[in-house]
Amino acid sequence: MKKIFLFVILAVVISSCESQKHLYSWYDSEQATYRYVKERTDESLEKAMAQYKKVIEKQNGDRKVVPPGVNAEYGFILYKAGMKEQGLVLLNAEIQAYPESERFISQIIKQLEK
Amino acid sequence: MKKYVFFFIMAMLFSSCAENITRMAQYPKMYEEKPVTIAVMPPINQTPHVEAKEYFYTTLYVPLCEKGYYVFSPLMLMEMYQEESAYDAELFVDSDLSKFRTFLGADAVMFTVIKEWKKNVVAGEITVDVEFILRSAKTNELLYKREGNVTVETRVNSGGGFGMLGALVDMAATAAVTAAKDKIDAGRKCSFFVLSDMPEGKYGTMYDKDQKHPAGKSYVKKSIH
Repeated sequence: MKKIFLFVILAVVISSCESQKHLYSWYDSEQATYRYVKERTDESLEKAMAQYKKVIEKQNGDRKVVPPGVNAEYGFILYKAGMKEQGLVLLNAEIQAYPESERFISQIIKQLEK
Repeated sequence: MKKYVFFFIMAMLFSSCAENITRMAQYPKMYEEKPVTIAVMPPINQTPHVEAKEYFYTTLYVPLCEKGYYVFSPLMLMEMYQEESAYDAELFVDSDLSKFRTFLGADAVMFTVIKEWKKNVVAGEITVDVEFILRSAKTNELLYKREGNVTVETRVNSGGGFGMLGALVDMAATAAVTAAKDKIDAGRKCSFFVLSDMPEGKYGTMYDKDQKHPAGKSYVKKSIH
């Protein structure tokens, strides 16, 4: 009985603590994007694109979907690098996945097409 | 004896997790307004380290997404801020935020104030003191505010066993590694730690279910190793 009581209390206490689970898998995308923004070289662009691809294709987090902003950021970079069509597809994929981003993404597309 | 052990374990567990105040009591406006989208402003840097602003700005996005919010891409936002000459967070921190709503569709705006950014290469540590201020773009109300002073260890261990030489190798390795990667890691750890008591957003697993979870103190100090 005592053991059960102890187990229940421990379970309650531990479950009330912060969990370490993640909603999304990010890999090294943060680092790669930072490097690209700083350096703007072909090499850093390639690395950033590889990371975006990985984040889009391999999601092991709780939600198993592409995190907010990743499709858009990848599309934005592709558009700026001259791959306009591909870029627009990804920017629109962001709106599909996260309709709350529509106003922002539309502004970005307007700015890009200026 | 058993009783003492039991009492000690309980005391340790409660002191490490429990706080008296709930998230609902500490951050009632978060539950009232339920923001979905967050625009992050570039940090207000009160330290002489110019680079701190850049490093820290990069690290705000992931922790807020992990809290279940839709966070606008900082990279894209930055270009927009530059276009609209809205780069200075100081201009907005106390003023009307309705433009963020009409122009971007943001429900809330996250401001951060970097109060300390100290690198200690020899000790292999970075200390970051940042205040987080989340304000509503609908009502301009303060939704969330918390400050954290976080020390993150960046030391690299060569494996040891070489006495003085090993120590020197470690020190050199630490100095080299205490570059961009570590600063970004330190900033991210600080954000994750301080924002841990923030009510979860729409995509969080505990969205609208964490009202009774404990909120932390409004100022926290911690070493993360």
